[in-house]
Amino acid sequence: NEKNLLPPEGLEVVKPRLNNEFKKVNCQPDVFRCTLTAIPQTSSLLNKARLPLGILIHPFKDLSNAVEQLPVIQSSVIVRCRSCRTYINPFVFFVDSRRWKCNLCYRVNELPDEFAYDPVTKTYGEPQRRPEIKSSTIEFIAPSDYMLRPPQPAVYLFLLDVSFNAVETGYLNIFCNMLMEELDKLPGDSRTQIGFIAYDRALHFFNLAEGLSQPQMLTVSDIDDIFLPCPDNLLVNLQESKELVLDLLGQIPVLFEDNLETGSALGSALQAAHKLVGPVGGRVTIMQTVLPTAGPGALQSREDASLRMGKNVTNLGPATDFYKKLALECSAQQVAVDLFMLNGQYTDIATISCVSKYSGGSVYHFPLFHAAKNPALTEKYEADLRRYLTRKIGFEAVMRIRCTKGLSIHTFHGNFFVRSTDLLSLPNVNPDAGFGMQMSIEDSLVDTNTVCFQAALLYTSSKGERRIRVHTLCLPVTNQLSDIYAGADQQAIIGLLAKMGVDRSVTSSLPDAREAMINAAMDSLASFGNTIPPAQRIGSLPICFTLRMLPTFILALLKSKAFRVGMNTPLDDRVFAMQQCKSLPVGQLIKTLYPDLYPIHGIQSFDTEKKGDIVVPKPPRLHLSSANIDRTGVYLLDALDSIYLYVGSAAPQDFIQEVLDAPNFTSIPDGMIDLPELENEKSELVRNFITDLLDNRPGGACFYVIRDDSKRRLQFFEHMVEDRSESSMSLYEFLQHLQKQIKS
Amino acid sequence: MATYQEFIQQNEDRDGVRFSWNVWPSSRIEATRMVVPLGCLFTPLKERPDLPPIQYDPVLCTRPTCRAILNPFCQVDYRAKVWACNFCFQRNPFPPQYAAISDQHQPAEIIPQFSTLEYTITRATCHPPVYLIVLDTCMDEEDLQAVKESLQMSLSLLPPNALIGLITYGKMVQVHELGCEGCSKSYVFRGTKDLTAKQIQDMLGLQKGGTTQQQRGPQQQQQQQLPSNRFLQPVHKCDMNLTDLLGELQRDPWPVAQGKRPLRSTGVALSIAVGLLECTFPNTGARIMLFAGGPCTQGPGMVVDEELKNPIRKHLDIEKDNVKFMKKAMKHYEMLANRSAKNGHVVDIYSCALDQTGLHEMKFCPRYTGGHMVMGDSFNTSLFKQTFQRVFSKDAKGEFKMAFGATVEVKTSRELKVSGAIGPCVSLGVKGPCVSDTEMGLGGTSQWKMCGLYPNTTLALFFEVVSQHNAPIPQGGRGYLQFITQYQHSSGQRRVRVTTLARNWADASTNIQHIAAGFDQEAAAVLMARTAVFRAETDDGPDVLRWLDRMLIRLCQKFGDYHKDDPNSFRFSENFSLYPQFMFHLRRSQFLQVFNNSPDETSYYRHMLNVEDLTQSLIMIQPILYAYSFNGTPEPVLLDTSSIQPDRILLMDTFFQIVLYHGETIAQWRRQGYHEQPEYENFKQLLNAPVDDAQEILQTRFPMPRYIDTEHDGSQSRFLLSRVNPSQTHNNMYGWGQDGGAAVLTDDVSLQVFMEHLKKLAVSSSS
Ligand SMILES: [Zn+2]
Ligand SMILES: [Zn+2]
Repeated sequence: NEKNLLPPEGLEVVKPRLNNEFKKVNCQPDVFRCTLTAIPQTSSLLNKARLPLGILIHPFKDLSNAVEQLPVIQSSVIVRCRSCRTYINPFVFFVDSRRWKCNLCYRVNELPDEFAYDPVTKTYGEPQRRPEIKSSTIEFIAPSDYMLRPPQPAVYLFLLDVSFNAVETGYLNIFCNMLMEELDKLPGDSRTQIGFIAYDRALHFFNLAEGLSQPQMLTVSDIDDIFLPCPDNLLVNLQESKELVLDLLGQIPVLFEDNLETGSALGSALQAAHKLVGPVGGRVTIMQTVLPTAGPGALQSREDASLRMGKNVTNLGPATDFYKKLALECSAQQVAVDLFMLNGQYTDIATISCVSKYSGGSVYHFPLFHAAKNPALTEKYEADLRRYLTRKIGFEAVMRIRCTKGLSIHTFHGNFFVRSTDLLSLPNVNPDAGFGMQMSIEDSLVDTNTVCFQAALLYTSSKGERRIRVHTLCLPVTNQLSDIYAGADQQAIIGLLAKMGVDRSVTSSLPDAREAMINAAMDSLASFGNTIPPAQRIGSLPICFTLRMLPTFILALLKSKAFRVGMNTPLDDRVFAMQQCKSLPVGQLIKTLYPDLYPIHGIQSFDTEKKGDIVVPKPPRLHLSSANIDRTGVYLLDALDSIYLYVGSAAPQDFIQEVLDAPNFTSIPDGMIDLPELENEKSELVRNFITDLLDNRPGGACFYVIRDDSKRRLQFFEHMVEDRSESSMSLYEFLQHLQKQIKS
Repeated sequence: MATYQEFIQQNEDRDGVRFSWNVWPSSRIEATRMVVPLGCLFTPLKERPDLPPIQYDPVLCTRPTCRAILNPFCQVDYRAKVWACNFCFQRNPFPPQYAAISDQHQPAEIIPQFSTLEYTITRATCHPPVYLIVLDTCMDEEDLQAVKESLQMSLSLLPPNALIGLITYGKMVQVHELGCEGCSKSYVFRGTKDLTAKQIQDMLGLQKGGTTQQQRGPQQQQQQQLPSNRFLQPVHKCDMNLTDLLGELQRDPWPVAQGKRPLRSTGVALSIAVGLLECTFPNTGARIMLFAGGPCTQGPGMVVDEELKNPIRKHLDIEKDNVKFMKKAMKHYEMLANRSAKNGHVVDIYSCALDQTGLHEMKFCPRYTGGHMVMGDSFNTSLFKQTFQRVFSKDAKGEFKMAFGATVEVKTSRELKVSGAIGPCVSLGVKGPCVSDTEMGLGGTSQWKMCGLYPNTTLALFFEVVSQHNAPIPQGGRGYLQFITQYQHSSGQRRVRVTTLARNWADASTNIQHIAAGFDQEAAAVLMARTAVFRAETDDGPDVLRWLDRMLIRLCQKFGDYHKDDPNSFRFSENFSLYPQFMFHLRRSQFLQVFNNSPDETSYYRHMLNVEDLTQSLIMIQPILYAYSFNGTPEPVLLDTSSIQPDRILLMDTFFQIVLYHGETIAQWRRQGYHEQPEYENFKQLLNAPVDDAQEILQTRFPMPRYIDTEHDGSQSRFLLSRVNPSQTHNNMYGWGQDGGAAVLTDDVSLQVFMEHLKKLAVSSSS
């Protein structure tokens, strides 16, 4: 299996085979994509293909840097199908100049007169000139009938763990400094509100009323029956109380520096947060460093470290429904809860994360966080936090997914609450959240050439505007199995399989989930094999070109933190990895499963690309196999959360000198987490490359320079998923195993 | 020999003691026939600047059951260096340091003039006192501002090393941390939930496990302040901080709906204050100073609900048992009072509001702990401001006139036992040979605790003669009492004041006239007043008047001089002559006639009677009336309607009020402004004279009395008219002896009528 399946520039993304017109306007795959870009005409055809059918969506993706600007229109009429409420889109059929036929339910609708007016060019003309028809991703500024109440202001409440352990990690300083720095960049307007609750065994509220000479801390110890200590000023207008907020942020680390209290009343803090933010709605951010041990929602450790190596893993689901219930209460009042876990020991992310999962929040995990002892992670925390504080946010959001008649969406993945069959409640929506939906074919699609999916996200912007972002994806329908294979999107498939695997692990068991993944690999290969005449099969596996990486990806999935067995994996790390499978946009998810590996010792020999003033080299991609790692080389591995610069023991002297500023291999400092800024081309190119990698992700990454003889070596080689390890097969063995299974 | 009057005065000056009887009937049976019980008013800390400083410990009788203190009445054998105890006759050797004594060289404690002596226990060191402010924030802006300013002012009056703390309350209760830089901190409690001391301690983080401290190593552990220090800080360390904190303090922020009272958590606030001190400074002098601007409306201790349409209870409601919250609230406050008293902590209540605040329910707190009770209409009045300032007044030596944590112990010679005490104290439940089986007031003990006391604080003590009827008068003919008061002086020193008293025994069956001659009618009146109020508070409210009447009639029968059934023959000797008049006024006073007052007012009046010394108490019972006119110098006049004259100005002092009453003519002249004309300078002087005298009282008395300036036909003249003897009314519509001999005197009769009927009943052979 020497063949290089991975193109040097990275894996291609399959495009649906549509007519040119549709192809031009179709939704970007990084926003909206389907596991199959050619939809089987019938469910029996789908069954034959033995591939999962589902869509992956990244609805609130940052489009500020997109090639094509997001069209935003303010118009008194938003044209929608009167029957199924689909928004008019590029894939509708104009019966005549006065009528259009809905591409989801086929109803013929009247076209309002104003529709001929193009709000962008401000002229009258053909309806086709309308941005709604010209772009499959569009945003409306909604008229008032899209509001149940006046749009809420941006409301931010921060819950800060200040227990002994929290203080010990040193995160408080970083958090407070970061928030002080970014305070002006919090999305919002003159109505923005902010508040803080610090908690250990007790809750510490802060009265920041405008006009006070200093903040007032109000401690409530009665955590079993929590109440708000004063009727107002715990959430304050940021503009009016800015001085006090800054004053407080300066003081918080000092206020608690001698705190000896080890208990943590997270549950009570959340109840208080719900009471505080509930009446308006908004965002609650938790910084948690320990297992909550006091008050309602207190938890006990469920991890037995001695069982981490075992084949089966228990306690992947929540220990109590306390956090889920709270999340649903929050969701009902348009409050989302985001969770930053900065824990050294087990904190039961499986249970606590429910508060974010069902409220449309996000979960971050910084295992073994310590400001002084773990500087690389600290830098990532800073970067993530900066991104988090300043990224776009949508409040009181709902997302509805519609699809062409005959198709049916049945299982949703991501962080939200399903309010009705096709409506997801998202108290907050953030640009980093991905979602997945499984689908089935209910009725034959024989009467249509294409099917469409439309996702409409209704939200309140941080400036208090009610907006609707609409994405429409169009796909061809086929009755040919070969078309289905030719249109299979292996990345989307792996994305969906990962999500399904998480559900399976929780509802059934981890071994079950793993077996299902192996079966998925086998099924797809076997059924594709059946499409090839026996004469054309020569020995090796019958892999379809579009699915050529699928077995590798499935192997990677089996070896990922979420699904691996036989390796020491802390329960929280595993649960978080599963959470990532559910909510990361597909591109990022693939990067964590099958990181990007680049040889960079020859950094000056690669093609380059100019991005602004910066020259970015484009080194080729390598398979994740130690066969590709030479002791004379230097390699960069990008696994999304971490970036490793691996230096072989016989790496070029000049590279070591010019990039790492060390006279020779042995003098490269162990635990280096930064590249020196040296004025030479090599150094600049390497740094440009890394900067570019970092720029193209939300948040940050831990950066480590790893010497071949370092203890950290394993961290790098762990990612060589095509290798054999003590507890797992190599890719070669895996493929042989699949082949054997198929034949039998 | 000096007159009894002089004797009584001397004793009062020297020992702070006034007995109802100064010659004691020698048998139990005779003693009970004296009608007025054998008792005394004892002012433990009576100001005695002339006492010699004694810096050593008192010498105790070695008999374990006695332990009386060496005193001037002990027989001393200078040669053998032995003294005989006058209580148990034990012969005790003097301790070695007394080796040099002789009849020329006597230690102070055996010199006759030092029957009262004070020892300073130098080896005992006391913690500086603790002051814990408990402040209601549900007030209007002006009141809150006023009380804040008063508190800020008080910081400069406190000793710098005293500890101070602040609790504020409204709907919530906030315990403030003091001395925080940059950020004020407080702990907030729900006002509806009562907490145990243990819970309060846990919630305030006052008890930290050792485990977490070990993690940080000994160095940091040492830097860690004592937990209580966060809430109770030395004044000198936090006065600036506290001044700012008070300055920034806002009215309770919780909204109050139309038609509702603010939610006020007095009960929980007080409970937290008591709990905080209980776990941080048990048995240390401390005072909780509660400033209440209205009634408790939620949680334990609530006295009225939130609805304004439901008024707070009146006496009538109490009588009809139509009180929803009273009993539960009383139970709550009494429990707190007991806990405070147990820990030696004082609870003061400053209640300033137009309506009642629940003093009636809360009264136990000051009563059991010796706390102040101050009642006013508003904190923004000189009445409150001056009164509060006077709490921190100092004596000639520059020392605070307040003491803490006292115990008063009574020792009696064998013929006597102590049957109880009435005053601002609680029983310590110490049984012993001196304790009588019959109880008067708080009995069954020979020791009482007084958490807070002042130079005026006075206990009523009652005794029982236990000698049998035929037992001979003991050798030497005298009975002895010793009062041992141990207390924490305001300087922080531990002191012991010892008063030893001796009175002659007399055989009542043969020498009743000796006993009668030793009657102190003033002391007797005050003792009876305290007893009557005690009875009114504890069990038989309305029956008290009946009891008082019966006692008075029996006293007249016993000590009057008369022919049977001839009222006109009735005579009382001079030292009994004023007593019926005292009783007349006591019956009419606000202490026993409650229906014209609110329950809060009644509680307040009764509280003061329970605390003050004889002179002040007498003023309360029978107000003093002075007349000012052009005919000579100001003079005391009868408390009688006949004293009201058109050309007079009257000054009435009822203790609680100073009433200035201008007669009809004077009022007219004043209205016409004569005093502003130079030729009527003497009128101006006449007008000013009572004002100056009133000012003198206003500036010294605690609490400051209400000052009322009124005139003939003025609406406030009722304050005078309700207290003077109605000699010139025409009320003769009353009946006698209608219900089977038990005398009932109706309320609005004049003294003359009262006396007539008293005489009639006293001489009647049927009663
Ligand atoms: Zn439709
Ligand atoms: Zn003795």
